[in-house]
Amino acid sequence: MDFYAALQAVINGLLTGALYALVGMGLALIFGVMRIVNFAHGAFMMLGMYATYVLFTRTDLSPYILFILAGILLFAIGYAIYFGLLRPIHGKSDFMQILLTLGIGLIATDGVLLVFGADYHQINISLLEKNLHFGQHISVNAPWVVSFGIAVVLALALYYFVMRTMTGRAARAIAQNRYAAPLMGINVFRVQAISFAVGIAAAGIAGGLLLPVFYIYPQVGDQFTLKAFVMVVLGGMESIVGAALAGLVLGVVESLTSLYWGNEWALAVDFVIFLLVLSLKPSGIFGRQRA
Amino acid sequence: MKRSHLMAALVIFVLSLLVPLVVQTDYVLQVLFRIYLFAALGLAWNLVGGYAGQLSLGHAAYFGAGAYGLALFSGRLGVSPWIAVLMGMAVALACALLIGGVSFRLRGPYFVLATIAFAEVLRLIAKNLPEVTGGDVGVQVPALFHGNVNRAFYWAAVVLTALAFATTLAISRARFGYYLLAIREDEDTALSVGIGAARNKLAALLVSAALTALAGALYASLFLYVVPDQVLSIDVSNEIAIVAMLGGAGTALGPIVGSVVLESASEMFKNIFKEAHLLIYGVLLVLVVLFLPEGIIGTISAFLRRRAMFGGIQASAKDVAGD
Repeated sequence: MDFYAALQAVINGLLTGALYALVGMGLALIFGVMRIVNFAHGAFMMLGMYATYVLFTRTDLSPYILFILAGILLFAIGYAIYFGLLRPIHGKSDFMQILLTLGIGLIATDGVLLVFGADYHQINISLLEKNLHFGQHISVNAPWVVSFGIAVVLALALYYFVMRTMTGRAARAIAQNRYAAPLMGINVFRVQAISFAVGIAAAGIAGGLLLPVFYIYPQVGDQFTLKAFVMVVLGGMESIVGAALAGLVLGVVESLTSLYWGNEWALAVDFVIFLLVLSLKPSGIFGRQRA
Repeated sequence: MKRSHLMAALVIFVLSLLVPLVVQTDYVLQVLFRIYLFAALGLAWNLVGGYAGQLSLGHAAYFGAGAYGLALFSGRLGVSPWIAVLMGMAVALACALLIGGVSFRLRGPYFVLATIAFAEVLRLIAKNLPEVTGGDVGVQVPALFHGNVNRAFYWAAVVLTALAFATTLAISRARFGYYLLAIREDEDTALSVGIGAARNKLAALLVSAALTALAGALYASLFLYVVPDQVLSIDVSNEIAIVAMLGGAGTALGPIVGSVVLESASEMFKNIFKEAHLLIYGVLLVLVVLFLPEGIIGTISAFLRRRAMFGGIQASAKDVAGD
């Protein structure tokens, strides 16, 4: 019985972890290409959730279709924010970039608070009542499985974008050496804008996919910003594969922590792991050594 | 700082102390208390974030240590309140040693993230150990002052701000202060000329943490009650940093000006935005980064410097022409 409880927790953890992975990959992409630690990342995830929520209440279409629209919207927002706010401070200190994204996050969160109020919302879809049973002891809620499937496909698509497309190659070139990249004819601003927008769209899509299984409220993204940092540090800062693996690990660790110590300690365990990795192996568990 | 400036600061200090004799409204005194408290917090943060250039977004840890130190040492162990304040400061110093020891080896974004994570771990511990801290329900804080409370707390905040300001002046004129500036400008070069970066940054953090804890104890004692999400939340860390950045990080006057502007702005917009009051912080942050990267005082003094230099050139040009 104990074994099955643990197995169930691991499975639940992997299902959550795939969505974490999507958020973390977005942050890793942005950090790799722009060296910006995006403190608004969770806020963008929250915007994706609210966009999907609003569309759902207006159209009654499935959130599993609407998340695509949320992704497109967040891509556009990301593109606009890059050219409107981030490009003007290009080359300024980390300090300034961190404060700017922090400010953007506060505006997004409290803007939503102002428009939609602080209430918790939840959507109701028929899929929520279905559970898939594996044997006697293991069962999973259907929406989690659907979200997991879509998240895996999108994570692979993101991987393909970064590793195989021309824009992805250019993004990696900038990550490798941002002084040499423009000399090779890469339009740094354009590639950074696209990478930033894609990273934010990934967070927004993850938000849309979480909508069926999560309560939404304006501050829902805050803990995801911090979790995304944990993933990215664990994964070696700019490696999107590392961030994806770290997302799965984090999901499982949280789930097991909830099982044995209680749900309230899950976030604390995240941060303790984070601090241990930062102090013992700053290059990350999955990352290569870098200065 | 010139002698005349020092005199001006003293006059302002004395005038600030006299304010409660004129202003009797509790509401106004409470707003002024908040302005002075955050001025002191901004000054304390400025030692680490401004002079040493280490962007800490985890000062809620020390603020909370001061608040909870007073509440728990006095409430649970029966220590007298002012001794409990000192013990809370000692706890904050211990936190600073631990946080500094780990995070000062990290640079840039890693450092920022480590400071946030430490403060968050403390918040979650305070939330999840109800037997010790009262958990989410919170815990009572003993009163540090009796009688006309608002007036007493106002005076305490003014004195604390003066203490933080004097500490800032003393450090900025000492060798220690120049070490911090050298570390901020170029840590590797500072190391190469024999400035122990880790040791000096840690020393700055200890001073900063002690002042922050004192402010935390004052704040908690005014409300007589403390909960984790109020004193240990990342919003507190952000507010402290924004106050200093808005006024001008690395200047002695900046955090005071920043606190006056930010706290009065947030007081004014409170009724319009209700619980969305952080909106104004976000807007101010974005505006400062885009248009006033050196803060209000930083920008003004850069302007004055430029004018003085330009005037100087004109004057010397006249000298040459006069020959």
